[in-house]
Amino acid sequence: MDQKSAGLNITIFFCQQLDANQDANRRVLERELGSRIKFFPLPCSGRIEPLHLLRALETGADRVYLIICPEGACRYREGNLRARKRLAFAQGLIEEIGLEPQRLELIQTTQGDQLTIDQRAHDLLARKAAFGPNPAKLQGSRGQANNARTLEPMNPGTPDVYQGVHYDYSGKKTFI
Amino acid sequence: MPPKYNIHTSPVPNRFQSITKSGVIAWEEGCLKCARCVKKECVYKVYEKRSLDTRQMLDTLDSECQDCFRCVQNCPNRLIQKGLNPTYKVLGDHYWTPEIISSLWFQAETGRIPVSGGGYGGPFSGPGFDAMWTDMSEIVRPTRDGIHGREYISTNVDLGRKLMFLELGPDGSIVSPAPPLVEIPLPVIFDILPWSPPREKINLSLLECAQSLGTFTVVRQSDLTPDLEKYLPHIIVHVDGKPENLPPELIKRLRMIEIPDSENVMAVQAMLKEENPQLVVIIRMPLNSNASERALQLTGQGAEVLHLYADEYGLEEVDQPLFIKERVKEIHLRLVEEGVRDQITLIASGGIAMAEHMAKLIICGADALTIDIPLLVAMECRVCRRCKEGIACPVEIDQVDPAWGSARIRNLMAGWHNQLLEIMGAMGMREVRRLRGEMGRAMFFEDLEKEIFATMGKRG
Repeated sequence: MDQKSAGLNITIFFCQQLDANQDANRRVLERELGSRIKFFPLPCSGRIEPLHLLRALETGADRVYLIICPEGACRYREGNLRARKRLAFAQGLIEEIGLEPQRLELIQTTQGDQLTIDQRAHDLLARKAAFGPNPAKLQGSRGQANNARTLEPMNPGTPDVYQGVHYDYSGKKTFI
Repeated sequence: MPPKYNIHTSPVPNRFQSITKSGVIAWEEGCLKCARCVKKECVYKVYEKRSLDTRQMLDTLDSECQDCFRCVQNCPNRLIQKGLNPTYKVLGDHYWTPEIISSLWFQAETGRIPVSGGGYGGPFSGPGFDAMWTDMSEIVRPTRDGIHGREYISTNVDLGRKLMFLELGPDGSIVSPAPPLVEIPLPVIFDILPWSPPREKINLSLLECAQSLGTFTVVRQSDLTPDLEKYLPHIIVHVDGKPENLPPELIKRLRMIEIPDSENVMAVQAMLKEENPQLVVIIRMPLNSNASERALQLTGQGAEVLHLYADEYGLEEVDQPLFIKERVKEIHLRLVEEGVRDQITLIASGGIAMAEHMAKLIICGADALTIDIPLLVAMECRVCRRCKEGIACPVEIDQVDPAWGSARIRNLMAGWHNQLLEIMGAMGMREVRRLRGEMGRAMFFEDLEKEIFATMGKRG
């Protein structure tokens, strides 16, 4: 069964440089799938942080994709390389809590492919549903309150992470 | 003299993170772990207050940032990159530009007028309202105290038919009955929205605000629900069904009603006025090349108020559309020429996006105007028109709390009202009623161009 018919919630982060007309192109899918598909355009994939990916899983996504520019084609030089490392870092974190790391996936586009964002999303939706719903989804009242929840502190308990120090994504699962 | 009209404002925070002009583009790596990190030195403490809106995956960093660029400049390894936000650049469309939308957001959030500094870097002239400049000859002294202090500038307008003279009986009594007039304290009425998500709460917000401002909201007959009853004195019912289906007791309680233009529109007006002689009837008619002829005809037949509408870009819905200000000017001048302009009230709508458009359209000959999209933008609309396509609103306008929505619109209207005062103060006008049709107090690009360049380039 493909991911679309399996009713999975898909979240797609993508670099806006990939499709100049992304806002119009993604609407057909948004209409068709409603809240089951969420698109989050990024100015550059180098803007992504592991927290975005984790929060996406936490707020109901079953699969999270990050679509980045082809290697060497980042408008801001190394944004796509950074994105790759950050996704790997987040994968490590979810693996530690017992989730399949493949729930977060990097989609590297290739040079010269001119696919629009909806075509890419269609491809992703047509993939085989390898996992069921995300077990990490919030249950009970907190889960229902997801929509009402707007702003959450980014740094609960680890004040240094965002305030003064950049993440170190060198493969170690430590912040500093 | 009545007390000064003042709109009370208070800051009303956004429900969603707004889309900002600039933002962090990418995070570089290679932190040197300085003892004094630029993030800790941020004077606005944006890095300390950081949080993430999970509905939109937007960081408060961008919306709280004041663009001082200290962190960008001072990070020894240049790890923070800020730039123009691509999402901002694609907001709205060619007419409802990101600048207009963000300025409306600012006014709705703060209730203050937008002040831009650093000189004007834009083009000299542009299409539509940008091809028009208003007079500022009266700015000869600090005007602040004048406008907002002791001087009285009235923004009241009257809607209805006006008598040109009184007929007196042999005993000196007035025999010509005065037609009903409705006075509103600012020349703005809230119109039917061209598109929106489900409208129940939006309508409540508009009505709540119209009530607090003393103006009106146009509500479709089909949208009338019992819970709107308490707002009836501030509702203009737009008859989108059969007028005969309107309950007489409703007509009796209304102050204004709007009917679409049709062959037998005057008969409908007469029928409505029979039910309620104090009712002011508005005839809604589209702007097109026949509009001035039709306006003249209706004025002759006894119409009270004409609502001339264009589309959301201020254009007529025809093949070769004219911009609203040109057509309103034409209609106004035609009625002036025929000597009937003062008998009728003209309301114009379509493409009014900023406070200056309001003043400019009044100069072109409208008595008052109605607005639509700015009302949605005040409630955080991004003019993405997803609702029009049946997609859920990204900022959930259908879920607004009417108290919040009304406070946002009130703030926006306060900003517009103050800007209208500024514009009129600069012209030395003390009455918005006198501003109507004052084309001598404005310059039009086309006229100037003709005046200066008409003789040049002529061959032979």
